[in-house]
Amino acid sequence: MQVKVLSARFDIPDAHKIEVAKENGAYSTLEKVFSMQPVEVIELVKQSGLRGRGGAGFPTGLKWSFLPKNNTKPVYLAVNSDESEPATFKDRYILVRDPHMMIEGIIICCYAIGSHDAYIYIRGEYTTQVKALQAAIDEAYAAGYLGASVDGKEYRLDVTVHRGAGAYVCGEETALLESIEGRKGQPRSKPPFPAVEGLYGCPTIINNVQSIASLPFILTNGPDAYKAYGTEKSPGTHLFGISGLVNKPGMYELPLGLPILEVIEKVAGGLREGRKLKGIIPGGSSTPVQTPEEAQDLTLDYESMAAHKTMFGSGGIVVLDDTVDIVKLVENLIHFYHHESCGQCTPCREGLGWMLKIIKKIVRGDGTTADIDLLRELCDNIEMKTVCVLSAACTMPVRSYLNKFRHEFEAYVKSDASCQTAM
Amino acid sequence: MAEKVKLFVNGQEVEVESGKNLIDAIGAVGIEIPHLCYHPALGADGNCRMCLVGIEDGRPPLVPACKTMAVEGMKVQLDTEKIKKIQRDIMELELINHPIDCPICDQAGECKLQDYYMQYDGQKSRMTVPPVAKAKHMDFGAGVVHDQERCVLCARCVRFTRLITKTGELGIVNRTDAARVTTFPGRPLANRYALNVVDLCPVGAMTSKDFRFKQRAWFLTKSESVCQGCSKGCNIYIDHNKEKYQDDIIYRFRPRLNQQVNGYFMCDAGRMTYKLENENRLNSAQVAGKETNINDAIETLRRAFSQAKKSVLVVSPNCSLEQMLAVKKLAATYNAVLSGYSDGYINIGDGDDFLIQDDKSANRAGFALLDIESSKSGFEAALAGSDLLVSFQNDLCRSLTDAELTKIQETTKLVYLSSYKDRFSEIASITLPVAAYSEDTGTIINTDNILQRYGAAVIKNVPTLNLIRVVNLLGGEFKSHEEVLTDLSATIAALNNIDLKHIPSEGIALTDKEVSNVAA
Repeated sequence: MQVKVLSARFDIPDAHKIEVAKENGAYSTLEKVFSMQPVEVIELVKQSGLRGRGGAGFPTGLKWSFLPKNNTKPVYLAVNSDESEPATFKDRYILVRDPHMMIEGIIICCYAIGSHDAYIYIRGEYTTQVKALQAAIDEAYAAGYLGASVDGKEYRLDVTVHRGAGAYVCGEETALLESIEGRKGQPRSKPPFPAVEGLYGCPTIINNVQSIASLPFILTNGPDAYKAYGTEKSPGTHLFGISGLVNKPGMYELPLGLPILEVIEKVAGGLREGRKLKGIIPGGSSTPVQTPEEAQDLTLDYESMAAHKTMFGSGGIVVLDDTVDIVKLVENLIHFYHHESCGQCTPCREGLGWMLKIIKKIVRGDGTTADIDLLRELCDNIEMKTVCVLSAACTMPVRSYLNKFRHEFEAYVKSDASCQTAM
Repeated sequence: MAEKVKLFVNGQEVEVESGKNLIDAIGAVGIEIPHLCYHPALGADGNCRMCLVGIEDGRPPLVPACKTMAVEGMKVQLDTEKIKKIQRDIMELELINHPIDCPICDQAGECKLQDYYMQYDGQKSRMTVPPVAKAKHMDFGAGVVHDQERCVLCARCVRFTRLITKTGELGIVNRTDAARVTTFPGRPLANRYALNVVDLCPVGAMTSKDFRFKQRAWFLTKSESVCQGCSKGCNIYIDHNKEKYQDDIIYRFRPRLNQQVNGYFMCDAGRMTYKLENENRLNSAQVAGKETNINDAIETLRRAFSQAKKSVLVVSPNCSLEQMLAVKKLAATYNAVLSGYSDGYINIGDGDDFLIQDDKSANRAGFALLDIESSKSGFEAALAGSDLLVSFQNDLCRSLTDAELTKIQETTKLVYLSSYKDRFSEIASITLPVAAYSEDTGTIINTDNILQRYGAAVIKNVPTLNLIRVVNLLGGEFKSHEEVLTDLSATIAALNNIDLKHIPSEGIALTDKEVSNVAA
């Protein structure tokens, strides 16, 4: 089931070094790219059907075309390498094992959107990754792929790595821009959207690492080769991070559209012996949970996820077996999102703290049925009332656990709190 | 006039000004959209989420009204159950960690949380867990005390120090419900407009060290007036209260919106001039160091006038146009020389490019309008050969050195009609109390040639005679303010077409030409 599109060079020793990467095809598309008009590059990416790999799945080529016409300001590219969503660990492989694939993607993207300055916003905790990335960028400068002239062409491109300071919310694209500008990482109200008014008030495209890294393949092999993978509406491949209670957790590149249960069984080695599947988090901690019954016909693509009232997200699949205490899982989940709320909007700032205190009360054994109902109601009261979707990233999954595993919460309020509940 | 657009609020067509956000545009026609963080002078931040409204057709289901411009044909929903529930939910979240210490909160009675709770919330508390604990009494400097627990993190104060004073002393630190407004270590509030954050704060998080715990807001009478701390003439509310068996006391000045003059703000120094109206007042007449009945003192002064070989009348640049004209006519009656010498009221270099002016007097422009000479040379020439100097509210000690004063005293008797005790009242041989501006009405012209009128705010248990009345008793021709106003309108060309008795609250902008245009 596994494929090697993005991960083609991952297993080649020293592929993070430019000589090795080049021997294996890195930077080979640039000649072709620079022979095309920027609009042609955008058109080609549109044809490939590539969708944003940060989680929202917005078509990448379409996003680029939102840049204002007749623009006189500089255009910026910001590569989102914040990768902070719990259970998500895909971009780090690109950063360490094949950073030149991403740099090549940055060159392609910048040429297409007319940008001469790209920023890579990398999460502060990625110390190994930032070193690998910076080393690769230095190599690319030395080899003439970045700087005053890209690959001998009359095109200047500078790439700056900006390290975050440890805030999840800076993965939100406008908070990311605030952070690059040196301010507290807080999302901006939209409109204006970044494509019109982004970094330093200039048109800015923000793409995920994996979206950018997908570009060299698309440009080399054409949109049809990319669309050969995946489904009609979710073409291509994706780096899935499978974690949780499976025998072989890890990062696997798969075409989109595969049945999730089959992937868990055949790729991730299935559940531990004697364990039963309790639920699946399909795409990072903010995506609503799927029960085994719901997951029967769930496939790893945007349409199927939407049909199941959940989201494709970041491709971070978490497998929960019957040893998992859902109530404590939810406590952990709310703890995270409460801690990461930027504190700007009232509902998220005050509401997530309230939810955390309620779930702690339930876990302590002091909760009542009314507390469960209140927790459920607060999900509705907070969600979508805020500048960004951080609050929804908490309330959507929490609501799904409360709806689908309510009996576990009730067991906490009715009986001895320490007992584990079975399905 | 701004262009108008027609839009629909709750299905009803309203005509509003274009180019404004929904809060201001719809608010102007009397439909309130609740909001905490938005303030017209500080722009839209969009953090409180109280102003979420629904817009029908082609827009996201909910938009913050503060960030949404009024557009022709827009259909705004405010009264749907969905919007009402959102307002209720947001209010609940605003209040869960709020101490609800209204009984001891200075903001009580003028608090947006209280008002909005009554109007948009009204539910019982569902908090069964402990609220977030934060710092209660933080001295931010400049007379501002902050209570982090009452704070709703609307960031108005933060934006004020960034956008208006550009001093940036305040910031919000921490994330999530640990977020709090604070100053940077060792860097307290240090700007001359800091107390405006107390007015800006929609809740009781920012309090004035000077005002806190002194009065409940609902006991205060809010009278409109104009600050006389400098020549800007910031529009103010005089908040005062006459408690049972007590005198009418002023507790604070607050800025009053006038886009033509001061906008929403005033300086801290001007704000504190309310104290002068309460304290250190000249309450009784004195003749030769002895307290005297006011009528006797007036009689003594009349005699002094008739006996004097040469009298000089000095008028204050703080006097109103009415007072200046009355004194000018009195000077003519006694064949006295009139001077407006008051250089000491000007503190060169003290002003800034916002509100504070170098000139610490309220109506110096009135000198030009009424052709009152105010140079030092003119004053010295007038003084030559004089044996009587009568000052009307003008503290000459501010403009003259001790040596100069001593020299004048050798030949000239000093008389002072004043509202306040100051150095000049100590050396004058006759002193007569007159009403302060908070107890009087008057018309003044500010540094930008804006004609403004203030009314009497405070009524003392034992009212002090106003200056016009005292001048009348001294032989002046005007019996009342109305008579002076009529004369002003008739004789001053610049004021011919102005109904001085009905000056709009935003004032009237005079042209430079009008102000310098001397009456024939």
